[in-house]
Amino acid sequence: MGADIKKLRSRIKSVDSTLHLTKAMGLVASSKIRRATEAMNKSKEYEKAFSNVINMLTSCQECSTSPYMQENSTGKICLVVIAGDRGLAGGYNANIFRFAKEYDNAEIIPIGKRSCDRYSGEVVLAESFSSNDAVTMSQELCSRFAKGEFDKVGIICTKYISIMSQEPQIKWILPLQKGEGANSSSMLFEPDEVTILNSVISEYIAATIVSSVRESYAAEVAARRFAMDSAGKNAQTMLDDLQLKYNRARQGAITQEITEIVAGSNV
Amino acid sequence: MNTYSLTVSSPDGTVFEGSVIMLSLRGANGDLAILAGHMPFITSVKPCDCHIELEDGTKKTGHTEGGLLTVASNNVTLLSSSFKWVE
Repeated sequence: MGADIKKLRSRIKSVDSTLHLTKAMGLVASSKIRRATEAMNKSKEYEKAFSNVINMLTSCQECSTSPYMQENSTGKICLVVIAGDRGLAGGYNANIFRFAKEYDNAEIIPIGKRSCDRYSGEVVLAESFSSNDAVTMSQELCSRFAKGEFDKVGIICTKYISIMSQEPQIKWILPLQKGEGANSSSMLFEPDEVTILNSVISEYIAATIVSSVRESYAAEVAARRFAMDSAGKNAQTMLDDLQLKYNRARQGAITQEITEIVAGSNV
Repeated sequence: MNTYSLTVSSPDGTVFEGSVIMLSLRGANGDLAILAGHMPFITSVKPCDCHIELEDGTKKTGHTEGGLLTVASNNVTLLSSSFKWVE
């Protein structure tokens, strides 16, 4: 009986420290949520403004000669896979990798520590990813695409639907799709549509990468908070259960001792 | 003086939003300035210093690392991957 109590006590201690850990991580995540969603909204706004203009440019007949609108036929694709920097975020990282498995012959450019570890790339953190990093990355992608190295270039990232739900998605960024419904007849282009498109394409791709990274990061933080919430609840239930068992065992031991003493004194 | 609304956006948010009299910067074909009532216009922007004249006559200068300038019915938008004010 004594050994049982000791075992229970050490288990209670370990579950209690897990509870503390999940609570702390949940608190850190919820304080980061606001900042992360703000950054996400700002970069999305910028990307949207840019995509409106790109849409207008690609709807022009002249732009179909741009190398960024040509379909290559090398059979190779390139994917930017955005995952988190840390684990303990529910299925966040696992969902992304499961999604990326469908494209197993693609060349992968990882962003986020987990993604870099998995695809063995130079470590690029998702949390501190700057727009300058994105510009460097997109310039390389654009020049390789223009040389005809890839058929398609895409981004695998997580869509932030709400604080409770996020899902992995793929965005194809190159070749550009022909814009629809944009009226550019009264617009004056300097010097001309194709030159503008070719010179701003890398900035547009960079804007898309930045907004995907910001969105994925917001999704990561939200997923972590949710996961830590439910882990904390589970730990609390477990703790209550163990505490009950411990009290029962303790009381049983005391009762037994008293019985033994009483039995001994009667003789 | 006539004014128009100018928005300067970067991936980290809107850097400037307000009524201005004039914006001058370096476009694809050389330096240019935009005044109110300019016709719809799109150009790529080269890395340069942008001079903005505000409604009250004060002038501000910022540095952009390239970008895209759109003019549409008195709404001017400068999309820049990096924009910093110069003191």
